[in-house]
Amino acid sequence: MNETLKMGLILCLITVLSGFSLGMVYEVTKEPIAQQKIKTHQEAMKAVLPEVETFELIESDDFSAQYGIKEIQIGYKGTQIIGYVMQVITKGYGGEIEMMVGINQEGIIQGVKIVQHAETAGLGANAKEPSFLNQYVNKSAEQSLWVTKSTPTNDQEVEAITGATITTEAVTSGINNALTLFKEKLK
Amino acid sequence: MNIVRERLKNGIIKENPTFVQVLGMCPTLAVTTSAKNGLGMGLATTAVLICSNMVISLVRKLIPSKIRIPSFIVIIATFVTIIEFLLEGYAPSLYDSLGLFIPLIVVNCIILGRAEAYASKHSVIASLFDGLGTGLGFTLSLTMIGIIRELLGTGKFFSRPLLPASFEPAIIMIMAPGAFFTLGILMALLNQYRLQKGKN
Amino acid sequence: MTQILVIFLGAIFVNNFVLSRFLGTCPFLGVSKKVETATGMGLAVTFVMTLASIMSYIVYDWILVPLEIEYLYTIAFILVIASLVQFVEMVIQKTSPTLYQALGVYLPLITTNCAVLGVAIINKNEGYNLIKSIFNGLGGALGFTLAIVLFAGIRERIEKNNILEAFKGFPIALITAGLMSIAFLGFQGLL
Repeated sequence: MNETLKMGLILCLITVLSGFSLGMVYEVTKEPIAQQKIKTHQEAMKAVLPEVETFELIESDDFSAQYGIKEIQIGYKGTQIIGYVMQVITKGYGGEIEMMVGINQEGIIQGVKIVQHAETAGLGANAKEPSFLNQYVNKSAEQSLWVTKSTPTNDQEVEAITGATITTEAVTSGINNALTLFKEKLK
Repeated sequence: MNIVRERLKNGIIKENPTFVQVLGMCPTLAVTTSAKNGLGMGLATTAVLICSNMVISLVRKLIPSKIRIPSFIVIIATFVTIIEFLLEGYAPSLYDSLGLFIPLIVVNCIILGRAEAYASKHSVIASLFDGLGTGLGFTLSLTMIGIIRELLGTGKFFSRPLLPASFEPAIIMIMAPGAFFTLGILMALLNQYRLQKGKN
Repeated sequence: MTQILVIFLGAIFVNNFVLSRFLGTCPFLGVSKKVETATGMGLAVTFVMTLASIMSYIVYDWILVPLEIEYLYTIAFILVIASLVQFVEMVIQKTSPTLYQALGVYLPLITTNCAVLGVAIINKNEGYNLIKSIFNGLGGALGFTLAIVLFAGIRERIEKNNILEAFKGFPIALITAGLMSIAFLGFQGLL
């Protein structure tokens, strides 16, 4: 019995020591981790809406469910509103795709960035590439977009990624949601 | 000094964890979609290996043999969690791409294997270099597999385009089956080399 | 209900733990020389993985979250799994010696099977509730069993074939696994 007790105590001691040291490391790294998250978020927002100096979160839950939009931030340069950044969630091939869409005051898309995705590497994952996402830049909120498998012939068409039509459609529909929301609520 | 060289050589070549011992297959197959991921995973594992080997060697005489396995696991899990915090705070892009496989370093049999087979019987310094050698062996294997898969699957080398545009990437190489094929063929080549060496 | 079915079938086929997520590859390659042993391993894993899904959910949601020490999840889960394996081993030994004989040797190996820890972490990351966690665990384990039993069946036949000397053992096993993985890619887009 004595030996069992001793073993139990040793195991307990090891666990307590490890929990304690982890607690300390956690306290030290907590701040950098939080900073890193804010930084990544800010950088992604600035990437899709250049020239913006500060962002302000729109505190409203009304839109999110209806349009599949996680959050909307107003972008300011000084005191002047430049545009909006919307964080859109859409269902892709491998799971949810989370992206940022930057739209200026006139309803022109300034930039799109994929923040998180689970698409197939080499196919759907190519949606992250600027060569694909730049297709959306300068499109207008006036009309919705659709996907084509050949070279686009007009302003409303977006060329699908080879072998990843579902991903392309998911991204496009997410962007259409953002455009609709802009047209109906923000304009 | 001799022990240092002996341990490094042992870990990298003689008892290479991937190609000779065939351990730690999950991360080897899962994260080697690119050279950078392979390298990152290898280095994270190496860091855990060195730390856990040293601590386990340090406390080896205090732990009764009956509870050594759970004790080792707790020590390993502690270091894995520390590495996880550090990566999340200072290398977020690597943290995102390795994802689930960072906490899973805990159950990488290489680490528990080294703890049981070496660190629990040898001095702290020797265990340190055993961890370093094994870790480097693992890192080299993972990076090599990563380079091959990335090059064939996307035509890139460490994310930089290397092959001419006329090269049509074999996407299957960076998908799940490509991992099995790459490792299988590399091991067959190694076997072939051994067979030939045996003949001469 | 549909959601649960999607999670369950997804875990078995689409995101097969071994062939597309690479979880539990060590036992998959290590104990798959005979169909019999592979079945034993599969059953033992199914048992432990389902229980581990329940236990890790309880530990995470009822202990770690209220105490605000979620960051200790890796240690907590691995301890839960290790004690669970020990406990299951003792119970089986006492209650059913035949089952113990069949599963006994595989049980200790399960602690370091990353599919078990993997499913606990996936459940946590996805924010599954208890029911979803159970079905994800059960589905993942059945997927593991399906893969390992099929794989063992193929390997038994390969043993008798005449293959290149250099490919004997692990290399041909890995190539076989790769081909199986291609077959499982066919399930993608199923759900």
